[in-house]
Amino acid sequence: MTPGYVDDIISDIKSFPSMSDAALKVLKLVDDPKSTASEIEEILRYEPSITANILKLTNSAYFGVPTKVASIRQAIVLLGWEKLGKLVMTTCVNAVLDKPVRGYDLSPGELWQHSIAVSVAAELLVKELNIDADNEIFTAALLHDLGKLVLGDYVKEDFSAIRTAAGEGTPFQAAERRVLGTDHAEVGGRLLELWSFPESLVRAVRWHHEPDSAEEPGAIIDLIHVADVLCLMIGLGAGTEGLQYKPSPAATKRLGLKPRQLELVASQTLQWANELGGIFQGNR
Amino acid sequence: MKMGREGDVVVTHALGSCLGLMIYDPSIKVGGMLHAMLPMAKINPQKAEANPYMFVDTGVVRLFKEIYRLGGKKSRLVVKAAGCASPIGKDEMFKIGKRNYTVLKKLLWKNNVLLDAEAVGGTVSRTVHFHISTGQILIKSGQHQEFSL
Ligand SMILES: [Fe+2]
Ligand SMILES: [Fe+2]
Repeated sequence: MTPGYVDDIISDIKSFPSMSDAALKVLKLVDDPKSTASEIEEILRYEPSITANILKLTNSAYFGVPTKVASIRQAIVLLGWEKLGKLVMTTCVNAVLDKPVRGYDLSPGELWQHSIAVSVAAELLVKELNIDADNEIFTAALLHDLGKLVLGDYVKEDFSAIRTAAGEGTPFQAAERRVLGTDHAEVGGRLLELWSFPESLVRAVRWHHEPDSAEEPGAIIDLIHVADVLCLMIGLGAGTEGLQYKPSPAATKRLGLKPRQLELVASQTLQWANELGGIFQGNR
Repeated sequence: MKMGREGDVVVTHALGSCLGLMIYDPSIKVGGMLHAMLPMAKINPQKAEANPYMFVDTGVVRLFKEIYRLGGKKSRLVVKAAGCASPIGKDEMFKIGKRNYTVLKKLLWKNNVLLDAEAVGGTVSRTVHFHISTGQILIKSGQHQEFSL
């Protein structure tokens, strides 16, 4: 086996186009309690497509505000900082994740649909389990498979070797690692590190298939792990590798999750994921 | 649930752990397909009211009712199942696919219906093309060769 690809993959990570400057600026502002609505308005003034998408999301049932919102200022007032941050993130991530992903055989929009579904499922789990999770979980879930965009070309190249390695009972990301020297979760984690995302978010992405391997397990990691497997099971974004992943019994135990709760969340996820995922469809 | 007549191709994508149930009356060339996500409607009665096809127990009954309404006869029906996959590992919590299959088998058994063919289980996520003119069912998953069920 030649894990000699790792250098190539790392240089691909470094040259991967970052998210738009405006998006990163707004996210910083949202994180800073001292910032004001005018500052955010000022940045978005020059970003009509981001603004339009933020308003579309604001008016969606998922983020649900009672009145029809027509301006960013109004959106900020009605949603509050925390939700606004999610909306900005969703808008910016859509542009990155909406592409087809080679190697995993995801057609245009499928990775986006999967990512938004995992965000929705993770938040539904938080509600169902009554966990006190911070709002980072939505963003972490949105970005959990980002690494597939970089690793896809390598997976395609070596697909038969990876499939052989995956054989009976070996999880797909472990097979990626065996053949390529790294896996899409690690690549995604490195990308986010490079973009200076908070460490807890980087960890959640890094360990989303192997929550027990994280130095310190955490609710965000476990929730994204469970939400991800669940979405694959209900047909949201299962690529060529299908359900070739292994859910961690320790993670569900840490969360205190019951089979009944998992099924309940499954029954609620599809509708929200379709609603949120479809909002940008007209843009494509 | 989707019904079809001669000339139609009924399609469902990425079944995952969901059950795909296809029934067909060859003499009048009418068929239908159910794509059910969860075994029992009682898990979410509100959803079941709005969308009974989401659940195996309520969906299967409706699928049969619908084909009878379109002129199908029980004695002529060809019944095939697909999907019901599970992720790797022994964790029963995630074996929703297996539970879907169990509920289906119980229902069919109670009603004296036999499965004519099935492509169920494993870790693959299946896509189904059901050609109503011929009754042919094509199943594709991942990199595997498409095959006729
Ligand atoms: Fe993943
Ligand atoms: Fe995923």
